Amino acid sequence: MQGFIDLLNKVMPDLLQGTVVTLQIAVVSLALGMIIGLPVGVGRVYGPAWLQRLLGAYITLFQGTPLLIQLFMVYYGLPDIGITLGRLQAAFLTLGLNSAAYQAEYLRSALQSVSEGQMVAARAIGMSKWQAIWSIILPQAVRLALPAWSNEAVAMLKYTSVVFLIAVPDLMGQAKILASRYFAPIQIYLIVAVFYIVLVGVTYLILTTIERRVRIPGLTGDAA
Amino acid sequence: MTSPILRLEDVHKSYGALQVLKGVSLTVQPREVVVLVGPSGSGKSTLLRCINLLNPPTKGRIWLEDQEITAPGVNQDRVRQRIGMVFQEFNLFTHLTALGNVMIGLVKVRKMRKNEARDLAMFELERVGLADRANYYPAQLSGGQKQRVAIARALGMDPHIMLFDEPTSALDPELTGEVLAVMQKLASEGMTMIVVSHEMGFARQVADRIVFMEGGVVVEEGTPQQMFEQPRHERTRAFLRNIAQ
Repeated sequence: MQGFIDLLNKVMPDLLQGTVVTLQIAVVSLALGMIIGLPVGVGRVYGPAWLQRLLGAYITLFQGTPLLIQLFMVYYGLPDIGITLGRLQAAFLTLGLNSAAYQAEYLRSALQSVSEGQMVAARAIGMSKWQAIWSIILPQAVRLALPAWSNEAVAMLKYTSVVFLIAVPDLMGQAKILASRYFAPIQIYLIVAVFYIVLVGVTYLILTTIERRVRIPGLTGDAA
Repeated sequence: MTSPILRLEDVHKSYGALQVLKGVSLTVQPREVVVLVGPSGSGKSTLLRCINLLNPPTKGRIWLEDQEITAPGVNQDRVRQRIGMVFQEFNLFTHLTALGNVMIGLVKVRKMRKNEARDLAMFELERVGLADRANYYPAQLSGGQKQRVAIARALGMDPHIMLFDEPTSALDPELTGEVLAVMQKLASEGMTMIVVSHEMGFARQVADRIVFMEGGVVVEEGTPQQMFEQPRHERTRAFLRNIAQ
């Protein structure tokens, strides 16, 4: 037991540093995913046919291939066409684009579950199509998409762990280094697993609080 | 003779091969209340949606006041501001309170300031007797209250004419009265209204004119007295007799 506590003391600073990197990647990627995913989701539903197909292809590409391959393509592949990214930048971009594809799909299904009458009523008081989307449809769809979005945020925390394969010193990256430094892989990975669980738990708590705060009676996608 | 507020000339509407409206001409005078009746599928709702250009006609012309709104290049969003519409299914904005439902058009479309919009929205809610429900969400209102909020929302846009598409058909019988009362009050204040409804009591009392449609055309029109007591067409007689029972 004493040995374990000694080990914990020794690895703690590095693991905390790794946690900061992991959180940073998750937050930036989710934000990037939201900034890209929102217009993609809206374009998927309300855009012209050619745009819908184009965005569909983007989503299929990122949902249909392993995240690791996407990461390698961005980090090792893009330099071939003259785009060289740092490790962290590659991590942000890959996870951001990947998350955008998922977030766009959650938003699409939420947008489609807002009843047709909402758009009709908005147009009837003189709103343009885009005014109606922005002021009436999106505020409802975002709330409807929130539970799925929470799952995405939690999943993202764990997906970030692939970045250790391009040597980003995130929680997983630190774990790998420490595991070989102290010849204690099982203990180290167990400790790291606990770190992830705590991160996920806290994230989940924050998001369910937000969900509760923005909940509106009767907003379930049925007609009002 | 004043100039008509609304004039339809040979309005047709088809969806693919399906012809719903087969040449409807109709003139509505300011302050007139027209009740549109007819069997389901006769094109009444379609006609209303043609008038406010939610589904523009495939053929024919419509004038609102002095403007031909079916002319190319007309700003349809601006036209709809002048035409209030109330739906069978209410279609209140689910994520907004009663007050928010009335306010949003004032802020986003009429570009009023928030506090100005709030005052006017409260005034409109008072008009339909729902000032005390201003902060309720649609899901917390009864059907009749929802429909009154929907009327207040339409009134907020200061429409020149109001279209009602079976406003009480989705309501329990005990709730239709409160909605019809609001509509009757509007009519007495001089609002021009076209009402699709099967409420014959309302038609008798409030309508200046009843228009009977069937198969995408106007079969007959006249004052309630003419239509109920001496309709010219056998179809009108049969329909009104059926519906009155």
